[in-house]
Amino acid sequence: MSSPEAGLLVALVGNPNTGKSTLFNALTGLRQRVGNYPGVTVARKSGTCDLGDGQKVELVDLPGLYSLAAASPDEQVVIDALSGNIAGDRRPDAVVLVVDSTNLLRNLFLASQVAELGRPVVIVLNQADVAKEQGLRIDTELLSRRLGGVPVVLSSAWKGEGILDVRRAIASAVAKQTVVKRVVWPTNIAAALADVATAAAADTGKPISAADAQRLLFDTNPSTADRLGWTVAQREKILRSARDRVRNSGYNPMAAEPLVHYAHLRAVLEGVVVEGAGKAGRSAAVDRLLLHRFLGPVLFLGIMLGFFGSVFWLAKFPMEWIQAGVDWTKTVVAPTLDAYPMLQSLLADGIIGGVGAFLVFLPQILILFLFIGILEDSGYMARAAFIMDRLFSWCGLNGKSFVPLLSGFACAIPSLLSTRTIEDPKARLATAFVVPFMSCSARFPVYALMCAAFIGPIYGPGWQSVVMIGMHCVGLLFAVPTAFVLTRLLLKVKPQPFVLELPRYQMPKPRDVIWRMWQNAAEFVSKAGTVIFAITIIVWALSYFPRDVSVAERIKASNPVASEEVVNAKVQAAYVEQSYMGRFGKAVQPIFDPLGFDWKITVGVLASFPAREVIVSTLGVTYSVGEGAEADSQHLRKAMQDAKWSEGPRAGTPIFSLAAVLALMVFFALCSQCGPTIATLAQETGGWKWAAGSFVYMTALAWLAGTAVYQVVIRLS
Amino acid sequence: MKLEAVIVGAIIGVAAGWLIRRWLAAARRRKEDGCAGDCGCATKLKPKK
Repeated sequence: MSSPEAGLLVALVGNPNTGKSTLFNALTGLRQRVGNYPGVTVARKSGTCDLGDGQKVELVDLPGLYSLAAASPDEQVVIDALSGNIAGDRRPDAVVLVVDSTNLLRNLFLASQVAELGRPVVIVLNQADVAKEQGLRIDTELLSRRLGGVPVVLSSAWKGEGILDVRRAIASAVAKQTVVKRVVWPTNIAAALADVATAAAADTGKPISAADAQRLLFDTNPSTADRLGWTVAQREKILRSARDRVRNSGYNPMAAEPLVHYAHLRAVLEGVVVEGAGKAGRSAAVDRLLLHRFLGPVLFLGIMLGFFGSVFWLAKFPMEWIQAGVDWTKTVVAPTLDAYPMLQSLLADGIIGGVGAFLVFLPQILILFLFIGILEDSGYMARAAFIMDRLFSWCGLNGKSFVPLLSGFACAIPSLLSTRTIEDPKARLATAFVVPFMSCSARFPVYALMCAAFIGPIYGPGWQSVVMIGMHCVGLLFAVPTAFVLTRLLLKVKPQPFVLELPRYQMPKPRDVIWRMWQNAAEFVSKAGTVIFAITIIVWALSYFPRDVSVAERIKASNPVASEEVVNAKVQAAYVEQSYMGRFGKAVQPIFDPLGFDWKITVGVLASFPAREVIVSTLGVTYSVGEGAEADSQHLRKAMQDAKWSEGPRAGTPIFSLAAVLALMVFFALCSQCGPTIATLAQETGGWKWAAGSFVYMTALAWLAGTAVYQVVIRLS
Repeated sequence: MKLEAVIVGAIIGVAAGWLIRRWLAAARRRKEDGCAGDCGCATKLKPKK
């Protein structure tokens, strides 16, 4: 995995929210590579860093963590990476420890643990501008001396300050092999560590490092012992005796490590930080307002309203331009294939109609991720998490469930994977079960299409935002009682405390926000050009074949006085109704009739079970094929607005009534329509039982809720 | 058989074959690497090649 041409390998380590990734971006520019650590789904982000003297090193950005105790897969990866225990990866030649300048004591705890690994270290005191603003003066030379002469550099990565000093410090640390001065353990603890190291080395036949010995003695988690191959039978007695020895010296074995490290660090930091007059507490003042018990949720709702309103408002014109481009392409392509009606329909109705209907949402996706980036980088997203935590703690979910649930609003797959950070298996199971209820970004085009076609034009743009927020809340509304029943009644999960660190507010860096927006846009366009493209071809084929010419003749014969245009429209509609898709849709439609869905919506719903956004392109194809290639100006929203029931008690009334539109959105908000999510749920829960349960439960719930919405709204309206 | 039908049939066949291959590969990667990278979630969770 290491880049051979880069030569030296340098690891970037630090607590979360210290600006580690911003520093990584500043040091590597855009020359980054992203992969996975083998066997685990923890991202390995690396890049080439120029040290300024022509020397290049490979810099790897390790996951943020507070200590080296291996409680989660992320932490285990850091320990393994720093120890050189990852297959295909070398042991780092140096470690860059990124430290929050405003909180040296807590951040240096990790530095103190990393010292035990014996690697050359550079300490970067990041966010130095904030420390200065708060009136903190840090004597870096004194700190460097106290830590054994390792380079200590001040930087402000997001302002691009001190980056050159960091490059020089890395070069210096590698050249001089400067290591952090290790903590001096009390005699009994040192002896206990020596006992553990000796016994483990004898039993496993492997050399045991000081860092490994500490993990074996202090951690209840057996991951280090498992990695070394030290069996329970071999280690049980020696560990008990070593921990008794620690206890006899007056320390709780589970608390000895932080107590000794913090005592050491207090001595190191004596006189290093001088507090002066500053603007400390600006974030705290803002938080008093944004996290207020009553005002906080109201402001949160206001921010979300503005957020969704802006998505519609700003995207309106770019969407119209893309729609005009799609229509123009159709008008150019269709006439060139007049002699080949089948190929003409495939290109114009199938590919351009289907992929075009999906691509129209690109501006909304761009703006959505632009705002998400701003909210995340400004520090507000963590506050939103704090506000929502009150809701989830009420329904009995473990505090750690909260981050996976929040990231579920982007995509359920990484959220399900991130439940691995939850130690309690029951809490993990309950969290994984409710993650698919969070309104992921794939639902967004469905809501956006319905809001843009029906809610906005009829009720005004303000209601679009209200409905969008409402749809994002529908999943939450059902997730909370589901989680309550699972955690309190079925699985009986024990509540656990959760500490959420709130990062300080800061101005988002445009380059980072735009880069993330670009990545998401590229993913969206790539999906349109691959999966959506292929699916639209299949959907087109199913809506086009079989094509019995006698149908056209019969319609022409039964409408002798009708204009050619009217007859042609009837023929196209008849063709689509007797296609494989039409027959299947009509056969299944009675199941969805209580929700107000006609056979075309039914087909769209069924086609979108592998991936929910497929409904947009499916409707695009079925409405295009049904209208014929010459109806090129009839884009999807217009075609849906004009669609009417042709038979039955609702004949002549609009198919997309307010009741049907709301029922469709509620159905999509709750239904389990994502193949990869179900497969990942099965993998993460160790079998298909919970995944199948989730699919049946969510789909049944979606049908019931959609039916209830349709039946109530149709009666009220 | 008309050339037009052959071309359309080939396009449909390639699309269906590509989708099936992709789903099978995703299932294999999900089993081996934990994440198939097929969700379009735009995160950094990509499978190793």
